[in-house]
Amino acid sequence: MSTNNIVEELKKNIAHFQKETAKEETGEVIEVGDGIARISGLSKCQAGEMLEFPGDVFGLALNLEEETVGCVLLGNYEHIKEGDIVKRTNKILSVPAGEELIGRVVNSLGIAIDGGKEIKTLKFYPIEKIAPGVMTREPVTQPVQTGIKAIDAMIPIGRGQRELIIGDRQTGKTAVAIDTIINQKGKDMICVYVAIGQKESKIARIVAKLKETGAMDYTIVVVAGASAPAALSYIAPYAGVAMAEYFMDQGKDVLCVYDDLSKQAWAYREISLLLRRPPGREAYPGDVFYLHSRLLERACRRNKESGGGSITALPIIETQASDVTAYIPTNVISITDGQIFLETDLFYRGIRPALNVGISVSRVGGAAQIKPMKKVAGKLKLAMAQFREMEAFAQFASDLDPETKKQIERGQRITELLKQPQYQPVAVEDQVVSIFAVNNGYFDDVAVKDVSAAEKKLTDFMGKAKRSLLDKIANGEWDEKVEAELKSICKSV
Amino acid sequence: MKKQSNRQFAKALYEITKDLPKKELSEAINQFIFILQKYNKLKKTDYIIEEFINYSKKQEGIKTIIIESVTKLENLTLAKIKKMFGEDSEITENINKNLLGGIKIRVDDMVYDASVKLQLKNLKEKLIS
Repeated sequence: MSTNNIVEELKKNIAHFQKETAKEETGEVIEVGDGIARISGLSKCQAGEMLEFPGDVFGLALNLEEETVGCVLLGNYEHIKEGDIVKRTNKILSVPAGEELIGRVVNSLGIAIDGGKEIKTLKFYPIEKIAPGVMTREPVTQPVQTGIKAIDAMIPIGRGQRELIIGDRQTGKTAVAIDTIINQKGKDMICVYVAIGQKESKIARIVAKLKETGAMDYTIVVVAGASAPAALSYIAPYAGVAMAEYFMDQGKDVLCVYDDLSKQAWAYREISLLLRRPPGREAYPGDVFYLHSRLLERACRRNKESGGGSITALPIIETQASDVTAYIPTNVISITDGQIFLETDLFYRGIRPALNVGISVSRVGGAAQIKPMKKVAGKLKLAMAQFREMEAFAQFASDLDPETKKQIERGQRITELLKQPQYQPVAVEDQVVSIFAVNNGYFDDVAVKDVSAAEKKLTDFMGKAKRSLLDKIANGEWDEKVEAELKSICKSV
Repeated sequence: MKKQSNRQFAKALYEITKDLPKKELSEAINQFIFILQKYNKLKKTDYIIEEFINYSKKQEGIKTIIIESVTKLENLTLAKIKKMFGEDSEITENINKNLLGGIKIRVDDMVYDASVKLQLKNLKEKLIS
């Protein structure tokens, strides 16, 4: 374009420009500190509205009182001083939502923090939204394959379910969630990983791992790190689920991991105490139950008439010294459709993932399993339950009757089989084959320490020579023919 | 029991003195001062008076208008503004060279911005997007 053209274009643009008088409602800062501001005026302010402070800092109005508005600041507040003018924006806090977010690392406001280019989406979704109602939902029937043998076999998770991952620090809670995300490759799932109050180094490691395994191609990472203000930690999971809702509205299945909600509850407690809301049990405010229930209720499976799609939620809770009776763990246990317990002793005994299959449950159960898995997992659960009862006698192995001895031997082999290294999810058809083999006693003459080697041999052979059979199993086919073929293979390997 | 705030005293003073004939006024004020003494609030009198002035202004619909402009406004313009927002409003004028031109009027919580600075900002945003 020549200079003249540019000048013409500019002139045209300016000629079309309408000058208008802006009419704004304003208030004045009367108090600021600890990420909280109290503002006078703003008499028509709505709850949850965004307020604009000088220097492009936004606040979220939380307390509406007779003369003042209490709000949390979402950003740097060093430059804000008493007497500053605050404007209403007439917008409820929303985050960008769209395909552009996939593969990106963003903060709780949807702003890129991975050094990449600015994210421009067409749509914005409000972070607070009432969860879909009864009429728009349908039962959970499709599985989310976590790729973790113990979970897929005994604590199945369905699309649209909310399954809590709970355990002490350093028991592999995040590892379970990350393995699940990695295993969603090629399964038409969008994943949202929300890191709340995590160390930035840990987040960097997770993002690097997701990139390495190719999982970033379908994952959004929402980060409110340990150094972020409490307000950002508080809104992070809502921002994550708002982004997920966009994809659900497109009829897609989404997996949302909140890592972890106890830190979010801490952040909310901090904000509430600073806003002088009365403290209750463990100094949490009265509405801390609603804080989590309204978030997890947004996980759902919608029926066809309402557009389909689902959001599966995997909230994570960190307990202190295995105390699941503390306030937040009991709350979240009661909200979710089941929980996965991870235990420190199991972890140090080398059982990793350190799942306690005895007390872990999934209230959706077999409805969210493919048929072959349902067939083989029933027997596995029974064997494990018997083993747990007999386990205490294991040391008197020589004095036991043959039946008990057999149960203990079987149990030890199953425990060994369910061990699995991190970042190595197993495809569901391979899981079915190995569980089938152990159920039918094909591993009974293998020494306990060689079980995983034998399993590897079996699945390698299946992958190379019997691909068509595996595909059949993956598609949910299971009849006597398949069973017979599996039996003959197991015998020969 | 919760402590009474200055605002509550101001409000009470306004309510009792609102429709009082003149001769009863001094008696009422006297009583009010007794109450202040009882609640140990005499040293807060200045604040209560301030709250009282604000509250009565609000009740009687008197608006506080702050006008910012680049040069001093003509009386005719001021009269027009007064007519728009009510004759008995209180006007404060400020000179603000930063506006470049036009005026900015603040009536209680509402700000009407008709400054050249804002227009230029809007134009900039339009040209960028």
